[in-house]
Amino acid sequence: MIQIKMPPKPIESNIGYLELKNNKIYCSKVFLSDIGYSKKDKNFSLDFFLNNLVHKDDCNQFRNNYFSFIKHNLDFRQSILIESKKGKYSEFVCTTKHDDVNLSNLDTKSKFLFFNKRKFKTNKKVNKHKFYYKEVAEMTSTGSWYVDLIKRKSYWDQQTRRILEYPEDYIPSINKSVSYYPKESFELVKKLFLKCSINGESFNTEIKMLTKNNREFWVRANGKPVFNEKKEIIGVRGVFQDIDETKAKELSLLRTSNIIASQNKRLFNFAHIVSHNLRSHTSNLSLVVELLNSTESKDEKLELINSVEDIASSLNDTIEHLNEVVTIQTSTNKSKSLVKFSESLKRVKISIGQIITKNRAIINSDFSEIDTINYIPAYLESILLNLITNSIKYKHPERDPIINIKSYIENSKLVLEITDNGIGIDLEKFGDKLFGMYKTFHYNKDAVGIGLFITKNQIEALHGEINVFSEVEKFTTFKITF
Amino acid sequence: MNKKLIELACIIDDDDIYINLIKRVIETKKLCENLIVFKNGKQSIDYFEALLQNLEEDKIPDIIFIDLNMPVMDGWEFIEQFTKIKTKFNKLITLYIVSSSINPVDIDRAKSLNNIEGYLVKPIIIHELENIFNKSA
Repeated sequence: MIQIKMPPKPIESNIGYLELKNNKIYCSKVFLSDIGYSKKDKNFSLDFFLNNLVHKDDCNQFRNNYFSFIKHNLDFRQSILIESKKGKYSEFVCTTKHDDVNLSNLDTKSKFLFFNKRKFKTNKKVNKHKFYYKEVAEMTSTGSWYVDLIKRKSYWDQQTRRILEYPEDYIPSINKSVSYYPKESFELVKKLFLKCSINGESFNTEIKMLTKNNREFWVRANGKPVFNEKKEIIGVRGVFQDIDETKAKELSLLRTSNIIASQNKRLFNFAHIVSHNLRSHTSNLSLVVELLNSTESKDEKLELINSVEDIASSLNDTIEHLNEVVTIQTSTNKSKSLVKFSESLKRVKISIGQIITKNRAIINSDFSEIDTINYIPAYLESILLNLITNSIKYKHPERDPIINIKSYIENSKLVLEITDNGIGIDLEKFGDKLFGMYKTFHYNKDAVGIGLFITKNQIEALHGEINVFSEVEKFTTFKITF
Repeated sequence: MNKKLIELACIIDDDDIYINLIKRVIETKKLCENLIVFKNGKQSIDYFEALLQNLEEDKIPDIIFIDLNMPVMDGWEFIEQFTKIKTKFNKLITLYIVSSSINPVDIDRAKSLNNIEGYLVKPIIIHELENIFNKSA
């Protein structure tokens, strides 16, 4: 049985609440009158309250909240519809904490549920619509919002607050909108919003948002302008749907398909290389055979047999190169381990010490931002070796080579950059061939055209990327994104 | 036999072994009077551009055999550059692609160019080469 009791100090008499103490329930006068009952209503019990007065849509949630509060002291805050004696529903915000009440000053044996009546009234028809709207919003995780451009205020529905993990009574504000998005998407939001509020262009986009707890997630956001009678834009209204799960699947699918595409491309490339590079030797061999058949002279035959030796040796080189490439493709499962850039560089410098001294090359390195990477150590050394020898090989004739190497983080990925002051390369002409097999671009007798090809293959086999920037006669930069 | 011979043939290819062999074929079969060889497109373009400054009739080849895959300047780029200047020579210069590439992309691309007389796939068959020389003589 609920009893009426004068509020204990320091609860103000205008606060509605239920007090639970020793299995008894007391009700504040204000709350009782808010729902149209009076002291004389003797049948007003907790069961009656739960079963008859709380709206059936709110009942389950309220019960759960209520019992976790009683048993486990879990605070909660929810909006709740309560039927008055006359059969009308009023909306309350039910909380376990109240801004104006310091619970520590109260009897610790008591527990309080505060009921704060919402000012506006809703009629039944609206309620019915609201029910459907709520269901749809919840089932599809769709929140809606409105920005009033005249009053410079923004409004959210409850679902928006829930999706963004804000409390039910959170008041959004235009000034805080930067905190609802991660940095990288805020520019886009600003652009779309301005276009919508100034030019009246609707938008429909996929974008990342940020919850109160700093969790990033994907939403599909729609927005459109709201006009007054004079066709002036007075606001922007929109909905957004939590599509994080779908988007995550989409992104992982995209990643997989990218990996497959790049593997396919490498295979195709490889098949092409095999066919082309082997063919040039076999065709030479056929020509030798044809010549052998057409000549009678013994000396000439001997000479031709000598050239078979040459063909065999270059065929052997090609096979070795191809073998190297195949090894890269199949050994990506080789054990990665934590490698220090500085250590790898040290070993490379030792192994090509002579070349470095002979060419008076200066190698500067800066690994202060990040010095360790989880990688196949042999690959890292091979990459550094190839790029450094490349820089020395293509040094500028008028100056000693200076090579600057640094590592840093960009878009949460590790980047290694190697810049030289060499002769550079005309990327417009050679850009797409730079990493091809047996492509060389300079008159240089040690140019074999295998180094960069191997380097690119090693990097891509471990899902990295290599890009080149250069200006002829000035510099070349290789940028590896791991 | 009083066979009329091609005065000057030109081979552009970076494969030394191939060049040695083809030279041998041309010499033994006596397919032309003189032969010049370039290791890539750039070397030969430089040669032709120098010729333009100082036109010497007997230094302009009658026939060119060019490889596609070469360092520095590949066959395609040579053909593009050469097409721009070839009318200035006042001489019919026949251009053949000789490549070990059997990639349909390359073959179709060669077909689409109207100043290419033919696409020969390596290995070269000696009597085919003879035919071409005789036809062009």
